[in-house]
Amino acid sequence: MLDLLPKHIFLSDPLSLFFLFVIFIVSLPSAIYSFGYLKGEYPLKKIILSWFLLAIFILSMAAVVTAGNVLVFLVAWEMMSLASYFLVVFDTTHERSIKAGTIYVVMTQIGAAFLIAAFMIMYSYARSFDLFALKNACLAMPAQTKNIIFVSLLIGFGTKAGIVPLHIWLPYAHPQAPSHISSIMSGVMIKTAIYGIIRFVMFILGVSAAWWGVLVLILAVISCLVGVIYALMEHDIKKLLAYHSVENIGIILLGVGLAMFFTSQGLPYLAVFSLMAGLYHLVNHAIFKGLLFLCAGSVYKATGTRDIEKLGGLIKTMPYTAAYFLLGAMAISALPPLNGFVSEWLTLQAFFLGALNVIGGTKLFLGFCAVMLALTSGLAAACFVKAFGITFLAGPRSHYAKEAKEVSLSMKAGMFFLSLLTIVFGLAATMIIRYLTRAAGSAMDIDISHMQFSLNNITLNPQAGKSIYLSPPLLALVLLVLGITGLVIFCAWRRKRSVRHNTWDCGYYRLDARNEYTATAFSKPFRIAFSFFLLPYRKTQKIRESFYHVRSFTYETHTIQVFKKYLYDPVLVLVFRSAKSMRRLQPGSIHLYLMYIFITIILLIVFMRWF
Amino acid sequence: MQGIILFTVLASTYLMVIAKRMPALIRGFRFQSFCLFALTLIMAFSEHRLDLYIIAVLLFVLKVSLIPHFLYRTIRRIRANENLGLFINPQLSLIWAMAFTYLSWIFAARLAVFGQAILIGVMAIAFFIILAGMFLMMSRMSALAQIIGLLVMENGLFMLASTVSGGMPFFVEIAIFFDVFMSVLIMGIFVFRINKLFTHIDVNKLSRLKG
Amino acid sequence: MNKILLLTLQLAFFITVAPLLSGLITKIKNNIRMREGQSVFQPYYNLVKLFSKSEVISGTASWIFRSAPFVVFSSTLTAALLIPVFIFTSPAHTMGDLLAMVFIFALGRFFLALAALDTGSSFGGMGSSREMFISSLVEPALCMVIFAVSLQFGSTDISTFSGAHAISVSSIVAALALFLVSIAETSRIPVDNQETHLELTMVHEAMVLEYSGRPLALIEMASYIKQMVFFFLIAQIVFPICLPSYENLAQAFSWASWYCVRIILISIAAALVEVAVAKMRLLRVADFLEFAFVLGVIACVCAIVGV
Repeated sequence: MLDLLPKHIFLSDPLSLFFLFVIFIVSLPSAIYSFGYLKGEYPLKKIILSWFLLAIFILSMAAVVTAGNVLVFLVAWEMMSLASYFLVVFDTTHERSIKAGTIYVVMTQIGAAFLIAAFMIMYSYARSFDLFALKNACLAMPAQTKNIIFVSLLIGFGTKAGIVPLHIWLPYAHPQAPSHISSIMSGVMIKTAIYGIIRFVMFILGVSAAWWGVLVLILAVISCLVGVIYALMEHDIKKLLAYHSVENIGIILLGVGLAMFFTSQGLPYLAVFSLMAGLYHLVNHAIFKGLLFLCAGSVYKATGTRDIEKLGGLIKTMPYTAAYFLLGAMAISALPPLNGFVSEWLTLQAFFLGALNVIGGTKLFLGFCAVMLALTSGLAAACFVKAFGITFLAGPRSHYAKEAKEVSLSMKAGMFFLSLLTIVFGLAATMIIRYLTRAAGSAMDIDISHMQFSLNNITLNPQAGKSIYLSPPLLALVLLVLGITGLVIFCAWRRKRSVRHNTWDCGYYRLDARNEYTATAFSKPFRIAFSFFLLPYRKTQKIRESFYHVRSFTYETHTIQVFKKYLYDPVLVLVFRSAKSMRRLQPGSIHLYLMYIFITIILLIVFMRWF
Repeated sequence: MQGIILFTVLASTYLMVIAKRMPALIRGFRFQSFCLFALTLIMAFSEHRLDLYIIAVLLFVLKVSLIPHFLYRTIRRIRANENLGLFINPQLSLIWAMAFTYLSWIFAARLAVFGQAILIGVMAIAFFIILAGMFLMMSRMSALAQIIGLLVMENGLFMLASTVSGGMPFFVEIAIFFDVFMSVLIMGIFVFRINKLFTHIDVNKLSRLKG
Repeated sequence: MNKILLLTLQLAFFITVAPLLSGLITKIKNNIRMREGQSVFQPYYNLVKLFSKSEVISGTASWIFRSAPFVVFSSTLTAALLIPVFIFTSPAHTMGDLLAMVFIFALGRFFLALAALDTGSSFGGMGSSREMFISSLVEPALCMVIFAVSLQFGSTDISTFSGAHAISVSSIVAALALFLVSIAETSRIPVDNQETHLELTMVHEAMVLEYSGRPLALIEMASYIKQMVFFFLIAQIVFPICLPSYENLAQAFSWASWYCVRIILISIAAALVEVAVAKMRLLRVADFLEFAFVLGVIACVCAIVGV
């Protein structure tokens, strides 16, 4: 029987509470930020509408992560999608918004269809929508069915999370929303999909085959690399950040996939540790990506452009925003002692420790994943050197950047809160790990009372029994002390005056912003090195006065979006072509429609025997 | 007696299928409804059931007098072309109709294998009326033909229900009657509006409205 | 207190010896080229000279440019503290492991790359772009090496490497890979050339082109120390060393001399490579590092097989 009044409408286990916490810490500063951001940008009526939508959005996300019943979950999930869709198309004046919104809503509904399919299969076994009833039913499920459910859930949640190749909507939709919404969407909304994977695959379905974890790991590695490589090529600052979301979702999924893999191998210690690392990166990504999007919004608000090639020198006119952005960029590039460093270290460590406990070629596989993570983190650092350096450093490259002003207090307050958290979550790692271990344990139904993880001494494997140490506060302290020592040495020496002079210009007499290095130039080595994937091409055009004198020269370089061109475009063409032929069936004549019914009835009568 | 009436119903349906003009169609419908009324009355008489009497009276009031009257009035008011506008000409329609008769007879025979011969006949005719109603809706351009087609289908359903299963529950029957009546009114008004807007009631030309 | 003393000692050791190591390599290099070459103490003279000069700062530079030398300096020294030099475990070994060291180096590099962009000079941008390109490719190779090492020793904690162990194929190959990585990290031929200021080839030098005076001295110092850190790491991984327990002075002395010999051997190798190989095109660096990566994989396979 369908129980419409379920026992557990809402859950409050450590996992759900953790996700609620994540939603809270990003939504709060974003909401504060929105006061300053929306002011003057839109008429009052629209601002009120946006707050209303924001409230629905946040509430529905909270409902998603606490739902104890699949129906409640689905309703909240759809509400979340819809609210975010309306926020994506909030800027209705731009055609891009509409396009982004359409791609978003189509992808999200395809994902939802897979989710519903998976839930229906589960329901057919459990005869209940209650999560715990489903969990019990899944114990007695045949392996084949479990595999089907797993794949459907992975596609469904993967669409929302932006796993490559389902990420296609993400770089369109996230940048198009107002910045505080982008911050929540990238910071939190895509995390609800991770919640879904943890809750439904690991908690309810239970990992039954090793290839599940391996599949998730492979997808995660691909997401990491594709995300960061596209981000490197991107010069729209918000799009760049959106691609980094793809990358970071990959890193989070590395932790999750590893946990799934270890569960199937019967290594609960490592599984809890890996999931903990994944969750740690999840909250960290929420913090620094939220922060970065808010900063990008400030830049957009102050300059009116998102193209970093037109910016530059903002560190002088917008010192606070620059400092916050720098913190966010350092955190996302995993630089010590900020939070991103700790979680990436933990994830890498999970691979390393895991490799000690598995046998044979699996070691090498885990090693490869770890190496790809390292490559990703290196590329991410390069990308953020580009993003910060071109946007905030050197001289202004256009009038947009010249006229920039520092943003208002409420915007600064929102950014300040999050940038503080990047430091706190780096330094207070030991405490956070203790809580996250509990959340990870509850997510996998593993008793963690005998597990002790502390950052200062991680001994996971009884076989090796060697300790690994990391202490972010100590590290921060040493860095600071040595930095100050350096400063003291610097100053103690007999003071010499320092001269301000123009940048060295090789004897060329007029160095200006046009001579500065651009983002395109910065990413050129990467473009060439990854040309097998990016397929770059360029258009050059020379306007000559004579053979010897070129009056003007234009140079454009583009990359081909492989997934769009070779995966989505053919599908789209196919859909449109079939829709066109279907159109012929629908000429608008009532008689024809009646005839369809009539013929159907006749056929039914004639072929009654077979039905 | 029942046999004769059933045959008349069949004949009236054939008449409607080959009708070329609206008044003929309405007349056919009225005739068919009257036969149904007679059928119901006989049944009520033989079974001594009060609800059947009421239904018979309602049938007479609505389908034999009110609805045809209303339809006549609509035709007169809109002064439209009285031609139905045939997609399929009367001769071909007749052949089709015969094919449908045969088909519905096979269908009925297959459905009620162990029933009496008369039951099979009634079912076959009822099916045929439904099919014919649909055929009318499909193959005639005029919006009024659609209304009448619908009514014919409803007649077929009524016949099937009343003869095969001894009638639907009373209140259901009443409700259906009023439903039909209301829908005819509404559709009539629509036809009127369509005519006013496009100066014709040719449904086929409405396809131009699509995007 | 003892710990802090030891740490200070280690810092002092790195700061004083690192320039000597660099001078030594230059000397060896010059000698191989049949030149007399500069004194091994030349780096000290350079540092003193730089420290006593006034600095010129670009008008477009911001606080990033000013702070970068300190960040580079402090991060490199922090990494240096992780290496066990005098005793079995570094006094600061609870601070982090080998992986953390990679990230600590990344911190300094990040700031230096930003500082290079800060002045608005195209040279700086070029250097910054190239440096980040190379370093992002170094990262996987380095990670593979660390992975191989961790497979062999069961941990990424640096002090576990200095425990007694026999020479194995895996550790030799890993050390070789690490050597290649260190060439890229310390900007030596064939990845980069410290000796020229030719805009077509320079990477590290292009980044620090705008620096002068004392900040430049700090950066130079940091790169000497970085090189030394890498040499120490290689020495620890490839040779079975047992750090002394200080029971008798003679043992400690013999150990110290052994250590010196190892470092000098590695220096000679570095010098030889630099003399024998031509500078590579920037994009060929990817192949070079891929080779280091493959060596890492081989080390890994050796560790799995157990040789």
